[in-house]
Amino acid sequence: MMLRRTKKPNPLKWIRFRIILLGAVLAACFALVMGRAFQLQVLEGKRLQSKAAVQYKKAFHNRPKRGTIYDQNFAELAVSIDVASICAYPGQVSSPEQTASALAQVLNLKREFLLEKLSSGKGFVWIKRHVDPTQVSAIRELGLGGIDFVTEPRRFYPLKSLAAQVIGFCGTDGRGLEGLEFYYDSYLKGREGSGTVLRDALGRDFTGKGPSPEGKLGYNLILTIDKNIQYITEQALSEGVKKFWAKSGMALVIVPSTGAILAMAHVPGFNPNAFSQYEPWLWRNRAITDFFEPGSTFKIFLAASALESGLCTPVSEFYCEEGAYRVGKNIVHDVCPYERLSLQDIIKYSSNIGAAKVGEKVGSAYLYHKLKEFGFGHKVGIDCPGETRGSLLPVGRWSQIDAVAICFGQGISVSALQLAAAVSPIANNGLMMKPYLVQGMTDARGRVVKSFQPTPLQQVLSPENARRLTRMMERTVEKGGTGVRAALRGYKVAGKTGTAQKADPAGHGYAEDKYMASFVGFAPAKNPEIAVLVVIDEPQRDHYGGVVAAPVFRRIVQKTLRYLKVPPELATPERDSPGQEGHRQAGESLRVSWEAPTMG
Amino acid sequence: MKKKRVSKGRHLMMAIWVAAIVVFMAELLVYTWCRVQYVRTGYEVTEATKEHHRLMELHRKLKVEEARLRSPERIMRVAQQRGLVIPDSKQVVVIP
Repeated sequence: MMLRRTKKPNPLKWIRFRIILLGAVLAACFALVMGRAFQLQVLEGKRLQSKAAVQYKKAFHNRPKRGTIYDQNFAELAVSIDVASICAYPGQVSSPEQTASALAQVLNLKREFLLEKLSSGKGFVWIKRHVDPTQVSAIRELGLGGIDFVTEPRRFYPLKSLAAQVIGFCGTDGRGLEGLEFYYDSYLKGREGSGTVLRDALGRDFTGKGPSPEGKLGYNLILTIDKNIQYITEQALSEGVKKFWAKSGMALVIVPSTGAILAMAHVPGFNPNAFSQYEPWLWRNRAITDFFEPGSTFKIFLAASALESGLCTPVSEFYCEEGAYRVGKNIVHDVCPYERLSLQDIIKYSSNIGAAKVGEKVGSAYLYHKLKEFGFGHKVGIDCPGETRGSLLPVGRWSQIDAVAICFGQGISVSALQLAAAVSPIANNGLMMKPYLVQGMTDARGRVVKSFQPTPLQQVLSPENARRLTRMMERTVEKGGTGVRAALRGYKVAGKTGTAQKADPAGHGYAEDKYMASFVGFAPAKNPEIAVLVVIDEPQRDHYGGVVAAPVFRRIVQKTLRYLKVPPELATPERDSPGQEGHRQAGESLRVSWEAPTMG
Repeated sequence: MKKKRVSKGRHLMMAIWVAAIVVFMAELLVYTWCRVQYVRTGYEVTEATKEHHRLMELHRKLKVEEARLRSPERIMRVAQQRGLVIPDSKQVVVIP
């Protein structure tokens, strides 16, 4: 028997073959993957990266919120808050007609106007900025395609018209257009934030490293204004303007020792939240930008010059020509004729002729020099836009009548701020302080970044003469004086009335029926806390400063001193409501007969 | 004897490979876990930032509302409605 030996297959060989085959396939796949990876990562890496970035990166440009404006007690006067604005991507709007109709109904806009925007073919259009939240909700519910909502900061003034002319307002784009909003715009607006955020497939933002989306927030302003004193002043002024059917009014409250302005009121006012609904002249800070002839309040500075010159004392007497004094072709009148008056009585009774005589004694050159020192004819330098320098002719150009008229506040123009600032040194031992409205700036975290300190300008009066002048001004408010209606119970008041004729708009001298009534003073007379100026333009029912402006002054001072918790002085006149003496506004109004058509 | 030595060497190699693979896998898992945590934390930060902004905005709006409610004009009106008046100077006693 022959045994046949059969060859057994070697299983190991088959396994090896399969392993090698599998390895080769895997190696080929790996090579393929590596090749593709090389292509994607190296050869086309940059192009694909930028393509992908478009899908997952989102660029943003955020307008930062403007800084808040506070009063001196950190009460908000101007704040920025987020509100929604409605925009559209016209290319994505499927039915412009229907969308326009739906939007017009909710937003109270014209359908044609909206249709024009939606059919414009532009990539992006604004439908309405700063929309009411209820309207936003209504439009969201409509679910209109191609309509989107953008959150934007909007300026809001919670106290409405309070100090509106001082604070000013912002436009839709968040830029300051008037007042402090304009003057300090570069500090308030901050810096725009821009950068990119990552976005996932669901469109959710993913915060990586990057700049703050808020950008750099604007600085906050802290004003010297006190909202309560501002309100007191505006209220009293408004009552005065209303009572005497006046065209407008201004009032200022200043701390004489620092120059800080506590209130700057204007009537009529406007609401800065809806400034476009008011006439542009109402937006202006008229106490700073407008000038007027001050009238008899100016006699204070004449008296100051007379005392400083050393040529006069409060009891120096002057002949007052018994009511009519010829200067060239013109005749200066007093309302009540006087024979002889001392300097202090010229102030008390507001004699124009007496003032003219004092001016003649002091001399034009010296008077001009002192008026310049008091800040007339040049800017005080307050931190507000549009300040006027007023009008004070160089002494070389004064005519004979100019030299006389300036003594009782005609032929010269000043701003309300200049007048109030010039009275302050009398209440501050003769030292004039620079008036200011902003006392500091803080950053978004409340850290002080800038502070403004009281700035002394000049010693315009000796302390002794300041006291003598104060006493003379006190007499104006006492029995028989022109400003008796400014007297108040518990405090001694020093002040001066003014009634100025306004220039004829036709350019022929002065209008017969247009006056500017004013009162300027300070209280308490011994240790003055506040200096107040009240100017009422074109009062109709009466026009004397002592009748129209003095009661407004009294109300402001009375309430402000009480608010500031200034204790009443004990030895003061026991009167709260003035008697009838105040009706006699002796010499207070300018009585100049213009025999020549122009002043010459 | 030789077979035994070869077997021992193979086992050692296998152990090294297994260990390397385990370490590699563990590293991969830890890395993945870190990435997931990073992404999740990123979302949480985004949400927290949004909430912070929302609350800050709410705070601002409430401050505006407070300022409006504290406006002197409104306080005066409410006081007058309730019959309150500013005291006369005779009614004020100053305590030294």
